[in-house]
This record gives sequence, structure tokens and C-alpha cells, in this order.
Amino acid sequence: MTAWTIGIDVGGTYTDVVLAAPDGTVTVAKAATTRDQSDGVMEGLRLAAERVGRSVASLLAKTGRIVHGTTVATNALLERKTPLVGLLTTEGHRDVVDMREGLKPDRYNLRMPAPVPLVARRLRLPVRERMRGDGSIEVPLDIGSVERALDTLEAERVQAIAVCLLHAWRNPAHEAAVAEAARRRLPDAFVTTSSEVLPQIKEFERFSTTIANAMVGPIIHGYLERLQSRLRAAGFAGPLFVIMSHGGVASAAEASRLAVGTALSGPAGGVAAGLALSKTGLGAQLITFDMGGTSTDIALVRGGRASLSGGRFVGDARIALPMLDIVTLGAGGGSIARLDRSGLLQVGPESAGADPGPACYGLGGTRPTVTDANLCLGYLDASLGRQRRLDGAASERAIDRLAATLGLDRAATAAGIHRLVNARMADGVRVATVKRGVDPREHTLLSFGGAAGLHVCAVAAELGITCAIIPLHASVLSAWGMLNTDLRIELMRSQPQGGGIAAAPLRAAFAEMEAEGRERLHWFEGALEVHRSADMRYGEQVFEISVPLDACFDGDDDTTAAAIADAFHGRHQDLYTYALRDQEVVLVNARCSVTGKFRAAAAGRSIASAATQAERTRRVYLGTWIEVPVHSFEALGEDEIAGPCIIEALTTTALLRAGDRSRFDPRGWLEVAVGA
Amino acid sequence: MVRTQPGGGIAITIDPVTVAVLQNRLTAIVEEMGEAMLRTAYSQILNSSRDFSIALVDAQCRLVAQADHIPVHVGAMPWAARAVAEAFPHPARGDVFLLNDPYHGGSHLPDLTACVPVLVGDRTVFWSVVRAHQSDIGGATHGAYNPAAVEIWQEGLRVPPIRLTERGELREDLLAMLAANVRHPRDFRGDLAAMIGAARLGEQRVSTILGELGEPVLTGAVDAMLDAADRHARDIVASWPDGVFEGEALLDDDGHGATDIAIRARVTKRGSEVTVDLTGSDPQVRGFVNSSHANMQSAVAMAFAFLLDPDVARNEGAFRPLRVVARPGAVVWAEPPAPVTLCTSHCSNEIVEAVIVALSACCPERAMAGWGRRFRIAIEGAQPRTGRRFIWHLFQARPGGGASSCGDGWNAAGEWHSAGGIKFGSVEVTESRFPLLFERHEFRPGSAGEGQYRGGTGGDLVLRLETTEPSHANTAGDGARHGARGMCGGMDGAPHRYTMEVPGGGTRVLRTKETGIVMPPGTVLRVLSGGGGGWGDPASRDPEARATDAAEGLL
Repeated sequence: MTAWTIGIDVGGTYTDVVLAAPDGTVTVAKAATTRDQSDGVMEGLRLAAERVGRSVASLLAKTGRIVHGTTVATNALLERKTPLVGLLTTEGHRDVVDMREGLKPDRYNLRMPAPVPLVARRLRLPVRERMRGDGSIEVPLDIGSVERALDTLEAERVQAIAVCLLHAWRNPAHEAAVAEAARRRLPDAFVTTSSEVLPQIKEFERFSTTIANAMVGPIIHGYLERLQSRLRAAGFAGPLFVIMSHGGVASAAEASRLAVGTALSGPAGGVAAGLALSKTGLGAQLITFDMGGTSTDIALVRGGRASLSGGRFVGDARIALPMLDIVTLGAGGGSIARLDRSGLLQVGPESAGADPGPACYGLGGTRPTVTDANLCLGYLDASLGRQRRLDGAASERAIDRLAATLGLDRAATAAGIHRLVNARMADGVRVATVKRGVDPREHTLLSFGGAAGLHVCAVAAELGITCAIIPLHASVLSAWGMLNTDLRIELMRSQPQGGGIAAAPLRAAFAEMEAEGRERLHWFEGALEVHRSADMRYGEQVFEISVPLDACFDGDDDTTAAAIADAFHGRHQDLYTYALRDQEVVLVNARCSVTGKFRAAAAGRSIASAATQAERTRRVYLGTWIEVPVHSFEALGEDEIAGPCIIEALTTTALLRAGDRSRFDPRGWLEVAVGA
Repeated sequence: MVRTQPGGGIAITIDPVTVAVLQNRLTAIVEEMGEAMLRTAYSQILNSSRDFSIALVDAQCRLVAQADHIPVHVGAMPWAARAVAEAFPHPARGDVFLLNDPYHGGSHLPDLTACVPVLVGDRTVFWSVVRAHQSDIGGATHGAYNPAAVEIWQEGLRVPPIRLTERGELREDLLAMLAANVRHPRDFRGDLAAMIGAARLGEQRVSTILGELGEPVLTGAVDAMLDAADRHARDIVASWPDGVFEGEALLDDDGHGATDIAIRARVTKRGSEVTVDLTGSDPQVRGFVNSSHANMQSAVAMAFAFLLDPDVARNEGAFRPLRVVARPGAVVWAEPPAPVTLCTSHCSNEIVEAVIVALSACCPERAMAGWGRRFRIAIEGAQPRTGRRFIWHLFQARPGGGASSCGDGWNAAGEWHSAGGIKFGSVEVTESRFPLLFERHEFRPGSAGEGQYRGGTGGDLVLRLETTEPSHANTAGDGARHGARGMCGGMDGAPHRYTMEVPGGGTRVLRTKETGIVMPPGTVLRVLSGGGGGWGDPASRDPEARATDAAEGLL
């Protein structure tokens, strides 16, 4: 490799930049995240360039590609700071998304205020037309009704238009005609159709996803344009990629078109890192455990693949695109410990965030957080590595107040907080594994994010997991992961229902998708990889499961149909312990992924964290106060280290309990054999 | 503190951190059980509409943890476990018990409940309980709702507590008998397997905790959890003024001539306790709107839970401040052999309504207005090309949710007894599977009850039958006469109005309790479902909110 590669991860507090030099060495830098995220990105690049002794211009001139994870879309949806959107939809059906399929969260909270609709009803306008379930036309499109609706949207100055018609997944002709009329009348508006965004049966999910795309489309488009022009002005001539919710990367243009596909761009980098590490010898079965300040993201990597889910809610919008199956817990280092109204100790979901932050940040926070507990217990060093010294006395005051109401002493209270957050993390891992029929004990727990190293061994022990990994770049692993992702396009087509599996039309659908994927990646120089799969279920079920079909298309049509059904039965058996071979099998969605492989960046020791620390000791609380050795990550040899001890790096700290044993792997991580 | 346990052992007070950890773990267990149930169940009412609930109860059949699914199930599940525990005082490891009989701890026949004991030695320490609404339970009509029934035998198969599995050995003969009495034996067996699987999962998970920590720690922690919820609930109740308050709610009719059937609640609030006395309610009636005992208890508990804060742990402790007084032979507590199938919706909702109306004078800011009533239609017919029979249940056109002091009601969010927990199917999928065309499915303007905060709107559905031969339909519901109740000066929501237009045959209004409705090909159903009740004086409504509603076309 002759060029540099840059990964940039924008988080809630910090913007992490990771540089991979042509020789594989990795340098990290952290800048504060800014309101316009491109400011923080440019500052991070400046700091990173400084660390390798170059100017930004000379670094960018030698940079082959930049991969970027952004929370712009996520934040816009969560905070509902989105441009005005208009909806054009089938007459008689303009409330589909607002009806939410009849569901309301929080069953016993009847006084919960209803959400503000994604699109105001006065901007949900009917178009006279109707498709039938088989794609035939029941009512032809009345273009006059489209023009009348556009009169209103023009007068209301909408910035984006979602076109969502019933059964458009089956026949997109009306949507295409409506979109064309909309683009003609409002050339500056972002126009998007449900048949382009998600050609899949089930109108609620398709419409909601399309509307969410319209909500974030203009924002993502504007942001990426701005960032690209700033990068170009700074001397970057290569391509900018964005990591998508499915864990692959897409060109900036592709990410603008399917803007809603960036909704999980932030946490996707961590999963990508897990995937990359699993391929470098970390084991094929990983649980990624990304513990940040306010939340913790947990995902599964199995057999060299990260599992995908069919979608989730981001804010009030259901997004039904394939995305990494990430379980997010509202607990992290900044989570606040308190007594609830029944007098029981709780940790989170309320968080002190970055401002005021934990009490020990000295920024005005007075309520005890997980980080404060860790500091009181001696697990954290008040002077280590951060821009500021931690204020231990402030942590003690915060913990003492809680201790008084609990009737415990300071150490027992702090240890209680530590233990409770560990239990919540373990429950989160159970949700991500056991609920999906996966045994966590067969996995390695990969811990990263600022706070994870202090909790990972206890969490692993509670789950019966025997191996935990703490990478050297734990605190910036998401950005590092972005250097190791592939270019990917996910395509899907719902299939006509009824009449069993028909191989010939399916073959045609896959061929069409493959052609589309190849066309969209025509500029890519390497070889493209194509994978086929389908969402399938038994006739009476409604829950589809994803079935890989790569091996099914070798024979004639009958053989193919039988092989597909067989693949489904086998998968059902794996997941739910039984298969019903005499029952009708339904193939709902055909899916195709087209992937272009980049060359991966190497891991390895950092050149940035050069300062080797001498071995010290520190008093920590592990049931009682004891003096334990403190090792520096950088100074570790390849010999085994036994807990209890602390291992510190510039941006991460690990706690080994008695019974835990660890070994440093020169590929860049600490491998812990977890004691019971 | 050292004290004696019911089992004779000695328990010490458990430290607060362990209590919190175990509360999280028990909640995680019921959620995991729910997830397993959802993914393995076979019939659409379970895997799509999620009409099932999960609970863990202790040896005294006290509710310890529950997964939030269907509110009206939750308070009833300990009664089912109690009936099993009484019928089988010495369960063995590997046993699975089943019941549905409303006169033996059940709520109504379609709700089948599976109970699996969690044992330490030969003593039952917990019960893992799964309740699921069956798509059919035999009886005279498909789908378990028979408005014509005047005695319970016409409503379906009765299952008093039975031991379906003995020490891990399934009693195939018993299962064959059950399956022979329902219309879709394959679905029935599949759903039952899913229920038992989920209940067993709960048993395994709780056993793991017992093995790790021992019985005294877990039961001690459970005591502490229940006590904490008790304190939490009492704190809230104590903040309300003392007094005696009365509320009345009216059912439309029983389908057999009785109209305006009254449920009357006399609620005494004193200190941190609430007594709900339903003895003033009307006597039981001929039709299926009567309530079983467990369902009555559950409905009162549900009303109470709705008035507390949403973060009160929903376990036995939270309901300790509540006492229910009633007499058998009333519509709220029918004596056999009265039919009761509609009771989980009606008269459940009217019991809730009467209790909340009474307490609206005591804690008005907590008393939400009425949610819509349930009015179902089941259509049975033939697919045009294949001739295959189909049965379709109406879940679309949800009625509106009630307003409260916190804001307007949720549009089209459903009834009090499910409170936004029932999902309706996709129109696209429905049209692809059934000979039905949804010409319109939108909010129903003008249906919401006015108030300082308005109710949620109901739905407006126009549905055309694209069949080629006549279909048959039943209805089961209430609320075509009485709309969802306005509260604290708010107005009632518009009642339901369902009509049927037969090609060349004119239009007629459908009643809420009919059987054998003939629907010729091309019949058009117009379903106007009720809006939610309003809260507070309409004159105090923010003019801007009214203007927004006008602009949104909701008035």
C-alpha cells in the first residue's frame, strides 16, 4: 500500500481520527465534536497530521481514501431538527405512518403525550391513483391531483418530498410519474420514492423509512457537500466514503441518495472493527461491547459476519433498512446512580453526558456517576491521559451523599454502582445473544470505548464468557474499524405472494439486482463480490428469517426451488430447534449484496502512545482495599500477567480481578482469560 | 434482620445492590420468555398482534415480574397460578399445567394459560406463567366470540387445571383431546408448544439463579422488591385526598335485550389504601358481557396501575394498597354457567371506566379519559380462484385513545384493555392474502371527544369484499351507543358506527353483537370507529391547538 488511509468517527463528545500510514502504523487523534461536525473533523485532521509531523495538505495529498462515520442523520432524527417535508400518497391512506400499526410504547403510561407526526397532516396530500396487490392498476394516476397537491407543497415551501403509494413495491410506475412531476415543479426539493428507498411489502415500514429519508436527505446532502469541498480545499483528491447502518461503506453520493441509511453510521464503525479483528485471528465468534459515556452498543460477529436486523426506530421514525443488529443500552460511564422512588438503587438511563459530565470532571456535576464510582474505587488514575485532571474529592462527595441515603459506606456504595452497571451490561449482552438463540459462552467479548476496560472482565464472568479482548486502540476502535470496511450496496425486491417458490422469476430478480449493484459500483477498480439471500417464513407465520442462498442456484429450476426451501428449513431448525418440512414455505424478500473489498489496514502498536510507564502500585477496592500492581499497556511483554491488577494505556484502562490472567498480543490487543 | 420464612428457613435481609441486580435479572427473564414466544408462535394473533403475556409468580402466587404485553392479562395471571397450585399441591419437576376455565381461575376461554413450577427439592418456589389468546377454542362460532351464547358450554372448550405434561412426559392423549375440540388443531399445537417452551425457559433461568445464590437470597430479594413497590405505590396514593368517591359506567347491551347495564364503583380512599366496592353493579346478564372473577380482579388492578406512575414496578407489592369488594352473581363476577367471553374487553373496560370516573374527583390530574371500546368483526368466506376458506378478523380502524392532563389522546391507539399493545396488519399484506380492497383507511375527523385536551381520533375504513360467493360474519363488541368517556369536564368520544352496503340491497347499521350476517360479493363495509374521550373543560382548550386540528382536518 502506498497511500495513507484515514478513518474519522464522530461521537457525541469526541471526534476520533485514525491514520494508517503506508507501512501500517496507526496514529490516533481526538478533537472535540462540534455543532457543524465538519469543523471537528478538520480540527481532528489537523491534530493527527501534527502527530505524524506533516501538514494537513501534505497528508491529504498522500491519502488514498477517507472513511467517515457520522451521527448527523441520527441526531437530526432524535432531535427532530429536520427540514419541512411533504408527503404525496394514495388517496384514502394518508395516515398510514401516523397510525403506527396501532402500537404505542410503554403500556402503563396512558398519559404519555402522543409523538408529533413525522409529516404534519396538512402536508400529507392525497394523489388520485390506486395499485392492486398484483401490480395491476385499479385507478389510473390522475396527474391533475398531483399538480394540485404540488400547488400546496410549493406554497408551503417544503424542502423535501416523500412519494409513498400503496403497492409501489410491486409496480413503481405511479411513484415514478409523481416524483417526476414533483422534481419538475420543485427543482430544489429533495424528492424520494418508497419504491427506490425500500421496495418491500408492508406500507408502514416502507413509508416511514421513505419519509425519514426525506427528513434527513437535505441535511446529509448538504453536510457531505460541505465536508467534501473543505477536504478538497485542504488538498484531498481521493474519494470520501461514509459507513452505513449495514456496516459497509458507500460513496458520498450514494450516502446522500439513501441518507436514512446513515442512521447507525456512528456505532457501525465499532462493529466493523470487530469484524476486522475477527479476521485477523481474534476468533470467529465475537460480541462487540462498546461502552461510551451515555450508552453502550452491543453486537454479534459470527462466522466472519455481523448479524443484520430488519430495522429499528430512530427517534419516532421506523427505519426498515437492513442494519447492524446493535442493542443499545442507556448506560455508560456517565450514567447517574440514584435511588428510585421505591428506594432501590438504579444506574441510568439519565446521564451526566459531557457537560457537566461526572462529578470528577469538575464542570459542575454533583450527582454520582459510574466514572465517579470507578475513581473512588481506585480503578481510574486521576491524572492519566485526559486533557484534565480528575477531581477525586468531588467524586467522593457525590458518592458519599448517595451512601448516606443507602446506609452504606463510600466504598460499598461505589462498589454497588460498579456491580449494578455490570449486571445491566450483562443483561444487555443477554438480550443481544440469548434472546436471539445464541449462547454467549461460545463467544469472545471484545471491549472498547472509553469505559469498557474496567467492566469487561466482570461482565464476561457473569455471562460465563471465558475470553475477553481489550484492544490497544480501545477508545478509538470505531474510527480504526472504518479503515477496515468494505464498499457495499444492499438491494432487495419483495416477491409476489402465493404459489410457492418460483425459481425462474427469482433468478431474474437476483440478476436484475446484481446488475444494478455492479452498475452503481462501476467505478470500483477491484473485483466485486455478490451474495444472495432471502427473507423467508412458513405460510402462516409473519416473522421472516434471513436465509443465505448463495449455494442454491446451480441446478435447474426444480432443483433450485427445492434447495431454497431446504436452506430455509435448515436455518429454522438452527434458530428455533425445529423445522416443519411438510409446510408451505414463503419467500417474501429477495436480497442481494454487492461488495468491493478494500485492502485492510493493519493493527499493531501505536507510535503515538510512546511514553512507557514504570510499574507502580495503587490501592483499589475489590471487596476490601488492596494494593495492586499498575502496568503500562506499552510496557507489557508477552509473558502472562495475573490479576488483580490495573493495565493502563493513554486512552483506556483495564481492570483484572483475582483469577483473571492476561497476555499481550503484538497484533495490538490484550487477551484476558477470565476467571470465574 | 433475621426472620422466619414461610418454608421454615431463615433469611437475612438482602443488601440493596443484590435486590436491584435480581430485579433486573427477573425482568430480563420475562422479556426473554416473551421474545421466545413471539418468534416461535404459529398463529397471527400471537406472532403479529402479540396477544399474550408472561409472568413469574412466587410460591404464594404473588406476582413477582411480568413482561408488558396485554394489561388485562397481568392482574389475572396470579389467579390462574393459584388455581393450579390448589388443584395440584405437589407438582413435580418437568410438570406443565394448563387451564382456561373462567370458573377455575381463568379469565375467558380463548386465553389459555401454561404454568411450570420452579422447584427446590420437592418444594415449589416460583411459577413460570405464559398466557396466550388462542385463535380458536371450539364452541359454536369460529374465533371464540359467540354473541348468541347464553351459557358457557356454547362458548368453547373448558379446561380446568390439568397436568398436560407429567415429569417431562407429554400426555399425548390429553393433547389429542384438546386439539380435537378446536378448529385449527395444527395452529393450536404449534402455539401450545411455543407457550410451553417459553414457560420452560423461565423455569430454567430462575433455576439458574437459585443454583447460584440459593433460595434464601432470591426469595429475600423478592420480598424486598415487593415491599419497595408497595412503598412506592403507597407514597403516591397517600398524596391524594381522602374520601369516598363513586363512578358508574354503562355497557350498551348484552345482545339479549338488556341495555345500559351498569357497573358501579364506590371507591374509598383512606391514607395509603384504596378500596374498590363493586357491589352496586347490576346483576349478571344473559349475554357474554359478564365478567369472570379473575378478570374483575385484573380490571380493577389495571385501573389502579393506570393511575399510578408508569415507573412503579408492576408486582404484587404495587397492588397491596388495593382491596376489591364484590359479590358473586353480578355482571362483574358472574356465577356459572353464565357466558363471559367478551369480558376481557367488555365489561373490563367499563370496570376500569367506573373506577377512574370515581377517582377523577380524587386525583383528576391522573385520571385519563376513556379509551375506545372494542367492536370486532370476523368474516368467513371463500377465496375467489381457489375456493379455499378464509377467516379474517378486523383489527384495523382502531378507536382513539383517551386524553389526559398531559395532552391529547393518541389517535387510533385502541382500547383501555390493550392500550396500544395490539398491532393491526399491513393493508398491503391483507390485500395480498384476502379478497378485500381497502378503499380508505384514515383517521375519522370529528370523532374525538372535545376537552381542554381532546381524545384521539377513531378510524374511518371503507372495505370492499372482492369475493365471488356470499361470506358470513359475526360481530362482538360494544360502544355503538356509548362513546369513550370524557373526564373532568371533557366530552365523550363519538361512538362506533359500522354500516354494511350490499350491492342493490341498501345500507344497514351493524349491531355490536350479531351472528350469521350474510355478506354477498361486492358488499362494502364502512367502519367508523369511536374517538377517545376528552379531558377538561373544552372552553379551556388552547385556541392554537384547535386551529392546528382544523388545519390538520381532524375536526
